[in-house]
Amino acid sequence: MKGVRRAIALGVVLWISGGTLMTGTASAQSSEPDQPVIYDLGIDSDVTSLNPWKLCCGWDYEYLELVYDVGITYSQEDLAAAPKIVTSWTPSEDHMSYTLKVRTDAVWQDGEPLTVEDVAFTFNFISKYDMPFFIGYFPFNPTFEVVDEETLIWRADKPMFSPEVPAYSMILPEHIWGQFDTAGDPPADGASKAELDAYEAKLKVGRTAAREFTNEHPIGSGPFLFDEYVKGQYMHFVANPDYWGGAPSVNDPTAIDEIYIRVYGNKEAMTQALKAGELDFADGLTPALFNSLEGVENIETHVADAGTWGDIAFNFGGQSGGKATNHPALQDLVVRQAIAYSIDKQEIVDKVFQGTAAVGDSVLTPGKNGSWYLDIPPELEYSYDPAKANQILDDAGYLDTDGDGVREMPDGTNPLKLEFIAINDVDGSVDTGLLMEGYLHDIGIEMQTTTVDTNKAYEIWGAGEFDALIWDWSPDPDPDFILSVFTTGECGGWSNGCYSNPEYDALYIAQKSALDRDQRAQIVNEAQTLVASDLPEIVLNYWSELQAYRTDTFTGYHPTPNVENGWLMLGYGTPENNYLELRAVTEDAVPAADASSGGLNWGLIAAIVVGGVAVAFVLMRRRGQGEEDEE
Amino acid sequence: MGGAYLAKKLLHAFFTLLFVLAFNFFLFRVLPSDPVSINARSQRLTETDIQEQLENFGLLEPLPTQFVRFLSNTAQGDFGLSFRTGQPVTEAIAARIWPTVLLVGLSTLLSTFFGVLIGIKGAWQRGSAFDNTSLFGSLIFYSMPEGWLGMILILVFVGWLGWFPAGGYTSGTETGFAHIVDVAKHLFLPCLTLTLGYIGEYAIVMRSSLLEVKDEEFVATARAKGVKDTDVRRRHAVPNALLPTLTLVFYSFGFVLGGAIIIEYVFSWPGLGSLTYDAINELDYPLLQAIFLLTSTAVILFNLAADILYVYLDPRVGEN
Repeated sequence: MKGVRRAIALGVVLWISGGTLMTGTASAQSSEPDQPVIYDLGIDSDVTSLNPWKLCCGWDYEYLELVYDVGITYSQEDLAAAPKIVTSWTPSEDHMSYTLKVRTDAVWQDGEPLTVEDVAFTFNFISKYDMPFFIGYFPFNPTFEVVDEETLIWRADKPMFSPEVPAYSMILPEHIWGQFDTAGDPPADGASKAELDAYEAKLKVGRTAAREFTNEHPIGSGPFLFDEYVKGQYMHFVANPDYWGGAPSVNDPTAIDEIYIRVYGNKEAMTQALKAGELDFADGLTPALFNSLEGVENIETHVADAGTWGDIAFNFGGQSGGKATNHPALQDLVVRQAIAYSIDKQEIVDKVFQGTAAVGDSVLTPGKNGSWYLDIPPELEYSYDPAKANQILDDAGYLDTDGDGVREMPDGTNPLKLEFIAINDVDGSVDTGLLMEGYLHDIGIEMQTTTVDTNKAYEIWGAGEFDALIWDWSPDPDPDFILSVFTTGECGGWSNGCYSNPEYDALYIAQKSALDRDQRAQIVNEAQTLVASDLPEIVLNYWSELQAYRTDTFTGYHPTPNVENGWLMLGYGTPENNYLELRAVTEDAVPAADASSGGLNWGLIAAIVVGGVAVAFVLMRRRGQGEEDEE
Repeated sequence: MGGAYLAKKLLHAFFTLLFVLAFNFFLFRVLPSDPVSINARSQRLTETDIQEQLENFGLLEPLPTQFVRFLSNTAQGDFGLSFRTGQPVTEAIAARIWPTVLLVGLSTLLSTFFGVLIGIKGAWQRGSAFDNTSLFGSLIFYSMPEGWLGMILILVFVGWLGWFPAGGYTSGTETGFAHIVDVAKHLFLPCLTLTLGYIGEYAIVMRSSLLEVKDEEFVATARAKGVKDTDVRRRHAVPNALLPTLTLVFYSFGFVLGGAIIIEYVFSWPGLGSLTYDAINELDYPLLQAIFLLTSTAVILFNLAADILYVYLDPRVGEN
């Protein structure tokens, strides 16, 4: 009996001490006055780096915009250029220079004033050192001249639109990043090759050093201070009380004081966290999880235009390296048209995306590209019509001469067997491929699918060893980049299949140098129409970004761009449109972390578990002794 | 036990480690892509950028040169910078070691401890209700996909009951003792999942080896001599049956530093498992090499320890 009594005594002691400690801690927390308003946002992939030069993906730009300010930002209304650090941009007659006005009231988070010199420094650094990604916003060998404390002149050697695109670059403090500007001035005209090479080498050093800087304590001028980054877990921001754009958290107790952006390895867990109140907002849900949140109390779901489209891209051959394996039939527009007629885009939307996508037509998207997007007129579209597909193939001479169900080329050789590449980590690619096999079978084309991951897909794409890719594209708000993809010059670069059409190339150059926005819009429409009819790619669907949020914690969400399917958070939203606008629903918003405990007394739980284990153990031993007594 | 035996084992361990080093090095470089081209499209890198970055990472040199440099760097403890973040690899790994040891270490401890106890009781009372239930339970949990089990636990304990957080290591908002409680709350479900997943493994192995020993002559002799049943079990049968389980236990502890990739993903636990998975996706060679070296070393060392311990536990081992 001694053993049992001992176990019970142990359990009671543990209960009292454990319970006291844990209950004590819990009540100490809840009795604290003035709890900060914390916003928790859930996302499924981590930020790439704290170094702005390395940003590319995920929610990198969210981090960028919270801590840093960009020079010119995206308007919440329609993603056109909007002022931020740069308040206005006036082009000269010939559009070869812009006069920029820079605000004088901005302050770096370490107390230093943000000056026009910082703006000039940042823009100069990008163009001089050819910084990847950002250099695209500064074409034509730009120079930046500081005129006075609020004026900067941006000149280029060709007419340009660049500031209005907008030139989306963060402004970096020269007093921190200037240390990487080590290359000095370029050699004068007429310098020897050795001098030029030496200068190139110095540029490389500066560029590499800037990108390798760990930037552990980012100092920007933005509305939130960086506090902590735990890789793979969360990033913590605190409101900047000295923000030039105003800091609502200083006077308004319901404005956001702190932000946690939490990374979840798994969307199911993220959804549960939203339901449990650990998160205020969850982004990037799957269709199934999204649908499971319909009708859940205090949770609202939102479908945003992801600004990404799924497509089938054809290979026209001619990639360097000479390994291209494209089928000659694809050079014939009739064959591409027949394939387009054979696809039931609505079925793909319904079955592969469970209704959470929209049928696509143009290579620009209605959400992200706003007024640039052309809704391709129905008479120019290839609607689902397999009978027509069969007919035009018959008429063009692609007949099935040997009766095996697969058509051959008009000369009877080379059966129409096409190799499609499906990518298993691209949403819907594999499932679309499954449906495509059926569609093509119905028009006498045999489709063989090779499924690979993204890494392998890049290799295959580069070598040209495919007939078609089932992939996706994500245009910029400005049409220039996505239109460039179809130019001859991008073969080996961004072109999916080395499509080459001189008429298209001419349109691309024309829109790039059109000086009048309306004139440019007309040319952009022509380019979209040409792609839609000549079919270097078939745009299948416009993807949706599925978002969900709690209605009982924060209010004041509005979409960017300001359309029904704009993004409520993330995307092209900027803090002044989202984080600074949101307000907690009640005066004392409870920090989300508390909600998960569900008011349980942890001491009791722990003591019960420990006590139970101890008792069970002792009982087991007792039984053992009892058995041996019986023998 | 001879110094010869020890020396032989040490030498064996050392050469295994060298082989692992070489194998890991070449394994990643044999894969078709490279760390720069993977990110080329999303980062809009030009061809010049790509060449430049490849050069910066030392990837344009001939393979043998890279290997020699890799060996000499490793010998000096220089594991380089992560390709993706530029952070020193040792820092990146150090940040994840404690969560891994906490989660995988604790669950390995719990599942070996309870698994062995259950196996012993099950074998000793073969055919009893306890034995049948525990065997059945062990098989079910062991064969269950642990990721699925984790998600079910999330559904029940987070979704329906709201008792625990849905993921992560900490909510970051607590300090001091409250922080410990916070981590414990986050640890509970992943630890439970891993423990349940592996408890069956140890229970079954322990049970079957004890069953074999139970029928041996020396056990019958001990009983015949009047030794109490619990003593027969505790002092004669179990120690002899423990050896196979011991191999398994040491082996498992060696893998603690490998992390638990699936559980870490289901529970967003920041351990070495998810770090490895991310590094593989990015082909982050320096990080991968260092992690694999770490795990391999741990496994080799623990097996070496098991080998040495055996000699003390079983005098038959180590004799020539």
